[in-house]
Amino acid sequence: MPSADPPPEPDDRPHPSGPRAAGGRRERAAVLCGLAGWVPPRIVTNDELSQRLDTSDEWIRTRTGIGQRHFVEPGQATSDLAVEAGRRALESAGIAQVDALVVATTTPDRSCPATAPLVAHRLGLTGAAAFDVSAVCTGFVYGLASAAGLITAGVATRVLLIGADTYSAIVDPDDRTNAIIFGDGAGAVVLRAGHSEEPGAIGHFDLGSDGAGEELIIVAAGGSRQRSTPGEVSRADRHFAMQGKAVYRHAITRMSASARASLTAADWKVDEVDHFVPHQANQRILRAVADDLGLPPERCVSNVESVGNTGAASIPLALADAAARKVIEPGDRVLLTAFGGGLTWGSCLLSWPTLAPRTPSAPTTVTPVSAPAEEGGPHAS
Amino acid sequence: MSATYDQLIALLTKLHEAPPGDITPDVTYAELDVDSLTLVEISMHVERELGVSIEDNELHPDLSLGATAKLIDERLAS
Repeated sequence: MPSADPPPEPDDRPHPSGPRAAGGRRERAAVLCGLAGWVPPRIVTNDELSQRLDTSDEWIRTRTGIGQRHFVEPGQATSDLAVEAGRRALESAGIAQVDALVVATTTPDRSCPATAPLVAHRLGLTGAAAFDVSAVCTGFVYGLASAAGLITAGVATRVLLIGADTYSAIVDPDDRTNAIIFGDGAGAVVLRAGHSEEPGAIGHFDLGSDGAGEELIIVAAGGSRQRSTPGEVSRADRHFAMQGKAVYRHAITRMSASARASLTAADWKVDEVDHFVPHQANQRILRAVADDLGLPPERCVSNVESVGNTGAASIPLALADAAARKVIEPGDRVLLTAFGGGLTWGSCLLSWPTLAPRTPSAPTTVTPVSAPAEEGGPHAS
Repeated sequence: MSATYDQLIALLTKLHEAPPGDITPDVTYAELDVDSLTLVEISMHVERELGVSIEDNELHPDLSLGATAKLIDERLAS
């Protein structure tokens, strides 16, 4: 799959703390070279939710650490979010074409076909391979592994990976438990072929699943098991459901174990991690996992207060926000860890590259609630 | 109370802020405003630090701290 313009040159600066090939050999690797996040302009505050649900701003903040989330407008779909984030990520990377596009999502535009080909078409990625990855909130890490695999296998030289979810489409607005947690958004990265010793090289993946926990995080109807026939499917089965206590326990256990597996594979010690960027499930899970790993709270990157749980978008949104705030600097060692429905979990490591500031930065965590939206969405990096 | 009770109080106070005077063997988690996710964390810490497995539905809001310590001691003895 040829590209219109040549790939960026690999960064040849030595970076001994980055993920390494066994024995210190330089091997072909996927390297992060573009990053962006985008959330729809409409902000839904805790106070707004409190007007129609039996809850309060204090209750939501205490139990989840979430202060607001963003919802799409009627008619907006996951591909619309993905296009916004994808376009900005391509600008960040300074390229117009990729060989492949991967969209990680739990809320595709349609059951069939995948969302990625439409996103590729709308981004002008003519002829690029395009497919979806479905791993719920672990989708971005699974997508990273898939995208990196395309590169290391020599199938692609550049890949655009977008994590995008429209949870407002599947969460029952009257479900007090879940409606306070989830938001809509998209985050995207561009990966290019490089080598394992350079900053931005992504590696040491740990991925896993346990289908015995299928029902802990579920939308029961709409698939081949329970088809969506009007009048036969209950309201509960049409919507997202989660068994909170069991999920909380699994999330902490699995994320901690997966993070340790990646660190062990790379021979990194926990205190060598500069930034832990977990799936932004809720603040309490982030704190509990960081505590379990022995990481001080300040090394845990979080923007869940501003955007809620955005599913597959959460890690790239948090990364884009942290990069925009210059919390993450070139050379910093970064640990990504996620957990989601399936059950699924995954982790990987990278040392932070120098990303060209080609797009305006607007961090999500410092955006006042009353801030005017810019160009259809206030949060790009 | 037992050493187990003291260990339980130590991990409870690490996970949940409560006035020290309110923490007695007879007080329940609900009375201390301990929510369901904190109960899960208590259960996970008990399992990790004391080697006793407690199901999520066993550690319920109406259970007292003293009854929890008794439950753990019974598991340790069995």
